[in-house]
Amino acid sequence: MSKDLIVVKDLKKNFGELEVLKGLNVSIKEKEVVVVIGPSGSGKSTFLRCLNYLEEPTAGQIIFDDIPLTGEANINEVRKEIGMVFQRFNLFPHMSVLENLILAPMKVRGLKRKEAEDLAREYLTKVGLIEKIDSYPDQLSGGQQQRVAIARALCMKPKAMLFDEPTSALDPEMIKEVLDVMKQLALEGMTMVVVTHEMGFAREVGDRVLFIDGGNIMEEAEPNEFFTHPKNARTQDFLSKIL
Amino acid sequence: MDFNFSIMKDAIPLLVAGAGITVEVTFLSVGLGLAFGIIVSLIRLSSIKPLKYIGNVYVDFIRGTPLLVQIFLVYFALPAIINHRVDAFFAAISACSINSGAYIAEIFRGGIQSIDKGQMEAGRSLGMTWWQTMRFIILPQAFKRIIPPLGNEFIAMLKDSSLVSVIGFEELTRRGQLIIARTYASFEIWLCVAFIYLIMTFAVARFVGLLERRYNKA
Repeated sequence: MSKDLIVVKDLKKNFGELEVLKGLNVSIKEKEVVVVIGPSGSGKSTFLRCLNYLEEPTAGQIIFDDIPLTGEANINEVRKEIGMVFQRFNLFPHMSVLENLILAPMKVRGLKRKEAEDLAREYLTKVGLIEKIDSYPDQLSGGQQQRVAIARALCMKPKAMLFDEPTSALDPEMIKEVLDVMKQLALEGMTMVVVTHEMGFAREVGDRVLFIDGGNIMEEAEPNEFFTHPKNARTQDFLSKIL
Repeated sequence: MDFNFSIMKDAIPLLVAGAGITVEVTFLSVGLGLAFGIIVSLIRLSSIKPLKYIGNVYVDFIRGTPLLVQIFLVYFALPAIINHRVDAFFAAISACSINSGAYIAEIFRGGIQSIDKGQMEAGRSLGMTWWQTMRFIILPQAFKRIIPPLGNEFIAMLKDSSLVSVIGFEELTRRGQLIIARTYASFEIWLCVAFIYLIMTFAVARFVGLLERRYNKA
């Protein structure tokens, strides 16, 4: 039985008066792929962003690999171990693909340039973009940029990866190439938390689906169960609209 | 009226020497102002409340009062407090650089804030500190965008440095005044002075344009 890598206890987040997360409790095991779905404005992205403190929780606790997150005090230490992929890629436009990949390993992990470049080549090959190593982000398609962003996160050798709607900003024909890379990662045993609208991916790759609505986890189930026998009325309603 | 060319011919070398001093004051002031400006803009964007407050007061005070009054404050009011005479060069440079720093701080703040928030998030999510992300990701992108307003600031300072003539500092404008006091050739000399300023600002504008094009290619 594998251990809990991410533990979320009574997580609350307010934006001013607005309660976005109303007390979430989740444990995510090592090598588990958790897919988070829900209507827009439900708090699913906020939940994900709280996991690495891009949003600071209003109350509650996040424990990563047995280390309770305490904000600025240890956040950089923990973030090294949690890769994040954004909806809008957020590559560094003034740097080549290679420079994008080696910056953090050198500055944060303290790798030598040569070691960092070897890592970068390894992961670029993995996402199928080694020939773009000297390109700049604006010379790449959206799908390619997102694959580079995934490689950039992997170069830190993270213990877990967070995906914040990684295919939502992509043209339809590019979605598959990104999902394929993610699928491959999952197969290799990466712990992943994925916020997405890709139900096919959730069903095929997910070990567990969380349905968030109105700042609460409304339902939590293994994908087949979730999609074929949703128990919660809100889940049924949501699925009936999208499937 | 009579247009006295020979006075102009005699005056030009003196004026050009004065222009050299104008350039010196401008370079020093904008250079120091650049250092102030970067520090103050970072302070104002940081989350350290008391420092932030001081930064805001500085920028508001400088932008809300005339440079001429600031020069008077340094040259006439400061000696009363420290009980020591302030020399004109020191007063000119400090007033102009403190003034320039406030405007440059605003230019930097605008440049930094124009960079997509996702860039900071991407850097931080990789485990880099706020300062590392600023230095390697945000500032290099911001620099590119602030070249034009920074060029404008330099040109503005080149012209506004004429104000230090009021404390007797002998830059271009003051030289002009002194020559007129001797020759009464008001029209000829002010025309020369204006023309020299024009040549300098034009050269700077061209240089900034060049820089901009080069950066946009890279």
